[in-house]
Amino acid sequence: MKTCKDSIDVLLQYLDGEMPPDEAKALEEHLGGCTPCVDFIRTYRDTTNLCKRALAAKMPESVASSLQGFLRERMKK
Amino acid sequence: MIPESDDHPLQALLVQAREGDVSAFEALVEASRDQVYGLALRMMGNEADAAEVLQETYLSAYQGLANFRGDAAFTSWVYRIAANFCLMRLRHRKVRAAAEEALAEPEFTPRGSLAGMPSEAWGRSAEDVALDAELRACIQGATDALPETYRQVFVLKDVEGLSYEDIAEVTGDSVAAIKSRLHRSRLALREAIDRFYSEKGLKRDGQDRI
Repeated sequence: MKTCKDSIDVLLQYLDGEMPPDEAKALEEHLGGCTPCVDFIRTYRDTTNLCKRALAAKMPESVASSLQGFLRERMKK
Repeated sequence: MIPESDDHPLQALLVQAREGDVSAFEALVEASRDQVYGLALRMMGNEADAAEVLQETYLSAYQGLANFRGDAAFTSWVYRIAANFCLMRLRHRKVRAAAEEALAEPEFTPRGSLAGMPSEAWGRSAEDVALDAELRACIQGATDALPETYRQVFVLKDVEGLSYEDIAEVTGDSVAAIKSRLHRSRLALREAIDRFYSEKGLKRDGQDRI
């Protein structure tokens, strides 16, 4: 019988859809009866979404204009 | 994400830029610079380095236009150049002495069961919920605290959306090593967010009682 730790160790492979079917089945059997793991997987996925949004950045105008100035100077040569 | 499909309008500009049309090249820069800057900022962790990477990248792209075969989208091409410049710079940085053991992980009981449940506040973290400044700062701090090689993989895969194979190509590491680092980075960031939610919840409960 798989433990929570066994399941979480192979979570990436499972979520990537790269797990052999019999292993995936064994994992799903564990997940079927384990609320902590189900919640864990949900928050593991949310982590990626949250981080992606938190780390979004727009280029400041000052960087854009200094890039343009830099390139114009070099492209003349 | 690297835009592949919506890059076709840039093809005409690319032809003009190759023929020496400076304004066409500037239009290519404008169309792709936000993505390239985002990558550089997340990889380098500060605005000054990101701005320098941006300059190196587009200068190199300009000088290499003649060699660019056009079989990939322009944006993907400059993106790749930028990722390489970032990695080159990071290799020169003094390696921070952050040991792998320092990465946070979930806690298990001796029998291998999860020791706790996630904070209830996670329920409110669906995609449409506004990300407040405190959580944003927590995530930025936790990402910056990852060991360099872990942060690179996490940023390239989960934020920038590169494939494992592309990351292996730019970092020179094996796909297996990349997957392992990605998983451990996600676990560490998940712990940081969970701790943030729990502490915030405690603080709020405390205020409620007053």
